[in-house]
Amino acid sequence: MASTSQFLASLARLSLSPASRPAAASTIPRFLAPSATTQIRCAGGGTAQMQARAREKEKLKKKKRQQRFKEYKYAVPTGKGEQFSLCDAMRYIRAAEVGRPPSSVTYEVALKVRTIKNGPVIRNRIRFPHPVKNDTRIAVICPEGSNAMHDARTGGAVAFGEQSLFEIIKANPNNLPFNRLICHTDSVQALNKAGLGRVLGPKGLMPSLKTNTITKSVKTMMQEMVGAETYREKIGVIRIPIGNIQYSPRQLSDNVKTFIESIKADIARMEDRVDKDIIEVVLSSTNGPGFTLNGGFLPTDEKLDPAYLATAM
Amino acid sequence: MVNPGKRMNLLKTLFNLRHGPGAAILPPEISRLHMDFALRWNDGHMGPRKFWKTCLPRLKFWNPAIPMIINRSPDNSGPATLSIYFRKAAAAAATPTSAKVHMTPLAQQAHSSSTNECPAPPPEEGERVVTIEMKHQHSEAILEEFLLKTGAQVLRPTPDEENEMRQAEDLRDRAAIDRSIMKKYIDDKRAEEKMLARAREEADAIRAANSD
Repeated sequence: MASTSQFLASLARLSLSPASRPAAASTIPRFLAPSATTQIRCAGGGTAQMQARAREKEKLKKKKRQQRFKEYKYAVPTGKGEQFSLCDAMRYIRAAEVGRPPSSVTYEVALKVRTIKNGPVIRNRIRFPHPVKNDTRIAVICPEGSNAMHDARTGGAVAFGEQSLFEIIKANPNNLPFNRLICHTDSVQALNKAGLGRVLGPKGLMPSLKTNTITKSVKTMMQEMVGAETYREKIGVIRIPIGNIQYSPRQLSDNVKTFIESIKADIARMEDRVDKDIIEVVLSSTNGPGFTLNGGFLPTDEKLDPAYLATAM
Repeated sequence: MVNPGKRMNLLKTLFNLRHGPGAAILPPEISRLHMDFALRWNDGHMGPRKFWKTCLPRLKFWNPAIPMIINRSPDNSGPATLSIYFRKAAAAAATPTSAKVHMTPLAQQAHSSSTNECPAPPPEEGERVVTIEMKHQHSEAILEEFLLKTGAQVLRPTPDEENEMRQAEDLRDRAAIDRSIMKKYIDDKRAEEKMLARAREEADAIRAANSD
């Protein structure tokens, strides 16, 4: 498939006499012409100094390349009909969950975060204005007979003490009477000596500074732990149950707002090390589909009163 | 919901939640629905179960204010009834649907249960109950009777929505064709590789025999 232009080009070459090239060597001054030394460098020679500089440059390049970390993949929701207001999402979810016992159904939120793969992850505790469930049973590791132990007793801990508690844990590690464990700073050494990491670690109960479960004041820690949910980022997503299926849109929006504010505070706290940002907030439920929220509240259907979305399920 | 391809399926799911059997707007006289049937499907409890799974989500979508309670019990020999509670028409016009329900706290209200906790409550003042016997009935038959007894207004998808749905359907068909083409390509490639590997083996065997 030769086009006419190709023919034209060849014709032109045939017809035109080649212009005579000016004799470059004679007109260009000597210092502009490529010298003999540069020719040698191109061939890979050069002084030892030059080679060292080149190596240095290469190293720098490699370092720069390592600075660019891999990120988790994500797709940003775009286009119409992909994002929903809270009431619309709730309407669909409530329809999908009709007839399920409300005790077994919760609204859930998945928060997608733009983040590098090997960086620090977001993990913290949060207290919702309307708690999702309340079955927290706390155990406290604290020196026997100390003030902290008194605090634990008055605060309603199910188990407390030092050696006595360790024995309980060792006796039946698969059926612990508590689901949260906090440790007083004075008992950290005793805890490390007891060697319970193997038992508590897999359950996520091992007190550590990282999980924010070692404290000086047992009292305040217990207060903030009751009705609190822990969350952590896993492969770029933070998932958390956010409300009972019977909550009204107002209650749910309070919880969602609190959650997002908390995440933003977490990100701001670790800003110097990494930069993360929130990509999308997906509202879902135990058995229902997921909806990307657009931040709005009111339903698109004017006839729908938000109060209708809080009737018994 | 990670990749955009999966988002296409979302559209379909949502369409199925809005349109299909059970998409109907109930008259304002209806205050609540109550279904009572067994946890398992034996002894004629399949129909009510299917009605719940296929029709009730759409009814709930179009009538979000009406409480729809499902009480399931482990007893299969028990009845399977659908109770429709009508309130007086005058009262319906005066008060919004949800106002009355909100007077009692959520914990004390009737709720769906899988352990027979909330049997059908007796009608309140000015309410009347219409029941549908669902045992040994097909879910479509139940829906038909339900629509007849409530006088609900059945909804059809708008032309726009139908068009959108058809596009999604077309895309799915196209995907099936593409998938078959891709499969043929991969299969051919694998067959060729297999043949080559076999030929190489034979060549090796011949070479080994010659060298001995």
